[in-house]
Amino acid sequence: MTLDASTRSNATSEPPQRPGNTSAGSGALAAGLRRAGVYIVIGLLSLFCVVPFAWVLLASLDRHANLYAKPPALSADNFIRFFHDATTPRLLFNSLLISIGATLLTLLLSVFGGYALSRFHFPGRKTLMFGILLVRVVPATATIVPLYLMMIQLHLNNTYVGIILVEAAYQLPLVLWLMKGFFDAIPLELEEAAWTDGCSRIAGAVRIVIPLSRPGMGAGALLTFINVWGDFLTPLVLLTSPEKYPISIGLFQAFSGHNQIDWGLLTATAVLYMVPTVVLYLFSRRYLLQATFTGALKG
Amino acid sequence: MALILVFVVAPVGYAVWLSLTNKTLIGFEAQTPRFVGADNYRQLLTSADFLQSMGRTGQFIFFSAIVGQFVLGMLAAVLLTKSTVRGKVLFGGAILLPMVVPEVVASLAWASMLAPGQLGTVNRTLGLVGVPPTALLQEHPMAAIIVVNTWRGIAFAMIMFQAAIEGVPDDLIEAARIDGAKSRQVFRYITLPLIRGPVFLFLLLTTITTASVFGLVYFLTRGGPGAQTELTSIYIYKHSFAFFQLGLGSAASVIMLVLVLILGLTYVRLAKVEV
Repeated sequence: MTLDASTRSNATSEPPQRPGNTSAGSGALAAGLRRAGVYIVIGLLSLFCVVPFAWVLLASLDRHANLYAKPPALSADNFIRFFHDATTPRLLFNSLLISIGATLLTLLLSVFGGYALSRFHFPGRKTLMFGILLVRVVPATATIVPLYLMMIQLHLNNTYVGIILVEAAYQLPLVLWLMKGFFDAIPLELEEAAWTDGCSRIAGAVRIVIPLSRPGMGAGALLTFINVWGDFLTPLVLLTSPEKYPISIGLFQAFSGHNQIDWGLLTATAVLYMVPTVVLYLFSRRYLLQATFTGALKG
Repeated sequence: MALILVFVVAPVGYAVWLSLTNKTLIGFEAQTPRFVGADNYRQLLTSADFLQSMGRTGQFIFFSAIVGQFVLGMLAAVLLTKSTVRGKVLFGGAILLPMVVPEVVASLAWASMLAPGQLGTVNRTLGLVGVPPTALLQEHPMAAIIVVNTWRGIAFAMIMFQAAIEGVPDDLIEAARIDGAKSRQVFRYITLPLIRGPVFLFLLLTTITTASVFGLVYFLTRGGPGAQTELTSIYIYKHSFAFFQLGLGSAASVIMLVLVLILGLTYVRLAKVEV
């Protein structure tokens, strides 16, 4: 599968590579140049994607960090300060609390819900599934105002419970679809066998279906965690007291505050903040990407 | 017992979720008619600020998602599905990185990239080809956020296109090659028509997600300077939570919601999602 991009890049990379050597073995040469072109293009593209992170990493290890990328005066100072600072450990705690809380809630609801959607063919099920899918595309910005009003009416604004509920509600459609897919893949016969052996419906589900769908639950949990962990808008609107802020808001405040910005601490926080998601993706990439695209590309 | 649990607990599960989403709808529906009727809508649709924010959002979507992400994502997908390319995991991983980090970190990274003066990374790079340094976020704010959003979305496009290209049967390409087609022609006349469906779905999906981009831009520019990068999402946020015009903000949300739901419905229809 080759295409115009490679040939185009050949044209640009040819002159500097081998000026005026076109006679002998031009076929092999063209192939070589073509390959070089492919690597140059993909290399540049990768570089474009990675370069912005260079400063974040360098500055986090720099004793005299500023806004500009430069060779650091190496030290782990900033990270040590992160854990001893008055506010940053609190941010980490809040982020963990909100993300884990929302993940557990989402998982619990999606296991029950997914099982029902998969096993029971109640009227309106199809409509419901489409509805759930449709809700997935609703942008958070379009619902945040009414959500905020609702939370005030429920007296849940600026509470951990409130934000955990909202975050879980945002993630639920995706995970529900994911779990339903996983339950669908488990043959009903296995459960029926358990019933004939004297298991009740619930015991059958717990003993047969839950263990078999562990990979699905894992993927759903990871995905929820990553999404909630990275969310910015919801906590920005729903939380008002600084001692409840997660890292995303903390970073924003520190970045746009009126005080002198402590670049070292800021970037160290950013590094610690991105590590969990990057590591999770690194170790379960296939898995997570598959989950992300559930319902995004069928048929 | 078992049945009750499944039938009771499961609907409760939905109820929590449904109530949150449905109440949302009731929330603003109740908000607007009770107080001012359609006034908010009238005000919005005649307000230059709002219409400009829609225009900016359109521009943002067109250049960053439809042009930027599409072209670079397709390029990456095509190159990384070539059997001769080594180091796919490395390149793929690098391109994935902008998508997987939290949006705040992505913005922060670009704050340094776009930093004004000679030492900003982008300025330094442009300096190599003789472009004098500028305060990029002040002088070219829209272009800057378009680049940032393109950067963040390449991976999404790449993954969707990769899957689609891998689904193109090899023998078709083989046959075209035997008939003397060049790589460019194979792509233009074989691959591209065959992956038309996924490409269209990608464009639809990325339009939806780009319309709701908020943090990435807000972090960098807060909609400014002036209102130059005030996308509709930022307009909604500003009017609701900075100016406390919640009714107006809600009305803007409804307009956005309707537009997105139309796209979403089209998507669900076209994707032929199996239930």
